[in-house]
Amino acid sequence: MKALLIDDERLARNELRRLLAAFPDVVVAGEAANAKQAREQLAALSPDLIFLDVQMPGETGLDLLESLEPPVPHVIFTTAYDEFAVKAFELNALDYLLKPVDPARLAGALDRLRSKLGTAPAPAERPAKLAAEDKVFVREGDRCWFVELKSIRLLESEGNYTRVHFDSAQPQLFRSLNAMEERLDPKYFFRANRRQIINLAWIDKIEPWFSGGLLVHLKGGAKVELSRRQAQEFREKMSL
Amino acid sequence: MEPGPLTSVLLDDTVRRERAKARLYVLCQAGGWGFFLGFQAAIVLLFSHNDEPRDKTTTLSTLVMVSAMGLLLTHYLRPLIGRWGWKQLGWRALVPRVLITSAVISLLWSTLGYGYSYGILRLPGSPTYSLALLFTLSSIDGMILLIGWLCLYFFYHLFDSFNRLQIQQLSLATHAKEAELRALKSQVNPHFIFNSLNSLRALIEEDPARARQAVTQLANLLRYSLQSGQLETVPFEDELRVVNDYLALEQVRHEERLRLRLDVAPETLQLPIPPMLLQTLVENAVKYGISMRPEGGEIAIIARRENGSLRLQVTNPGALETDPVRLNPAGGSTGLGLANAANRLRLLFGDQATLRLRPGLPGNVVAEAIIPLPVSHA
Repeated sequence: MKALLIDDERLARNELRRLLAAFPDVVVAGEAANAKQAREQLAALSPDLIFLDVQMPGETGLDLLESLEPPVPHVIFTTAYDEFAVKAFELNALDYLLKPVDPARLAGALDRLRSKLGTAPAPAERPAKLAAEDKVFVREGDRCWFVELKSIRLLESEGNYTRVHFDSAQPQLFRSLNAMEERLDPKYFFRANRRQIINLAWIDKIEPWFSGGLLVHLKGGAKVELSRRQAQEFREKMSL
Repeated sequence: MEPGPLTSVLLDDTVRRERAKARLYVLCQAGGWGFFLGFQAAIVLLFSHNDEPRDKTTTLSTLVMVSAMGLLLTHYLRPLIGRWGWKQLGWRALVPRVLITSAVISLLWSTLGYGYSYGILRLPGSPTYSLALLFTLSSIDGMILLIGWLCLYFFYHLFDSFNRLQIQQLSLATHAKEAELRALKSQVNPHFIFNSLNSLRALIEEDPARARQAVTQLANLLRYSLQSGQLETVPFEDELRVVNDYLALEQVRHEERLRLRLDVAPETLQLPIPPMLLQTLVENAVKYGISMRPEGGEIAIIARRENGSLRLQVTNPGALETDPVRLNPAGGSTGLGLANAANRLRLLFGDQATLRLRPGLPGNVVAEAIIPLPVSHA
């Protein structure tokens, strides 16, 4: 596994590097002291795993994560003492380590990661489009999620942001619907209209609508209208 | 800065006490002079003889007039006592003043009473006693009465200020207790403690000597913050030493991002300050001036003795408009720390002590505390 360490303190990065030396399958490929360096390193190294400090000067770890182009790599958060962050991590079953890091907890986090990586496709043969198992990071208030694309039912445009509907949550994603559409695999996602993209796997039923359009019911209750032109495209796509 | 809950409780209490005091005053004046009038009227009605030169109605109205004059004279005396500051005097200074005042007012009272009755209304005088004798006797009576009035007045204030002192002491003790409890919880930021421990773990490998030093510095800081909560004030020197330890630990974490400038006048070192005051200001400066800025910056501590007070300034890079103290109250434990420090300062030193955040040189924020010196140092 290729890992990137992101922490504003040099000593904290050194300490983590030293702890990771005990795990031969983890290679520390690089370090970053702030969000800007982290973006450069992420682009240059495309690591499998990042260790991310929550509190950093300027942009925090969560700010950085929110701004990343999906797919986001696996993240293990590190924090010294932050009740809010820890509550958020536990609520959403995200992996985190408290500093100073307990080697046994580090081993546990890496074990969980290995079992997850075993099921996911290898990153090297990743196509340009996002896979159904890829994740985006979203945050709203105190809560944050790594959402697998396959669990997103509906994406709705809200100006420069996109509201994503999954489970019982519908937080805002930090990028436009058009930017999302470019990355989504048309095998799974369909642009229903100017404002909405639906996940084809979540369609419950379809009924004819005015002037040759369609009304698509999604599992979970949302209804999405397709104009005649889009309905035409939709029919062609589904018949294939 | 907003007054804390304790200060506002005290404020409410003051208003309530003032109202109760005004009520008690009206009651005492009305009751006292009412009794004075009623007692004399009863004597006139019961014991006077019909052969006296004036009828009972005239005598009674004269009594009413005399009582009303007494009431008014003492009523206008009351604000004068306040203005002359007699409530703060010791009894040695107070006794001659009480005697002279009651004599002067009694003379005035008798002059007004006798002047009006015999000079203007031309009531018939007593057949048995001369007017001069009566005037002297009633002046002496009046003086005794007024001495009684003043004694009651000052006794009341003695007990009142004693009570108030007790309340003040109690609230100060409560505050010190709270501060003690908060010492580890919010004043030394737990985030700082755990980050320092993390840095220490790394230092043990890289620079064992520096690691040993850092352990001592962290121990000093924790011990001081636990112990000093019980003290009202500490010498500035002690606080400065601990702040230096704290900054050394922050420098381990932030390295070249934290630069430091100390400008402390030697004559300030022995002056008393509330414990954790400078620490709170410096922690705040590091949090907003260094931790949140990728480029870091310089923290300056300046201490001067000026016009009978100690002026402490802590500057950090930043701007007040975007000051996260106000923008992010939930996340800022030091915002609370500053408010607590301001309240404690006020309770200990009164209104002359101030603590405020203000813009400094361009791109800098100054936290400034002004602490009045106690009499022994002034």
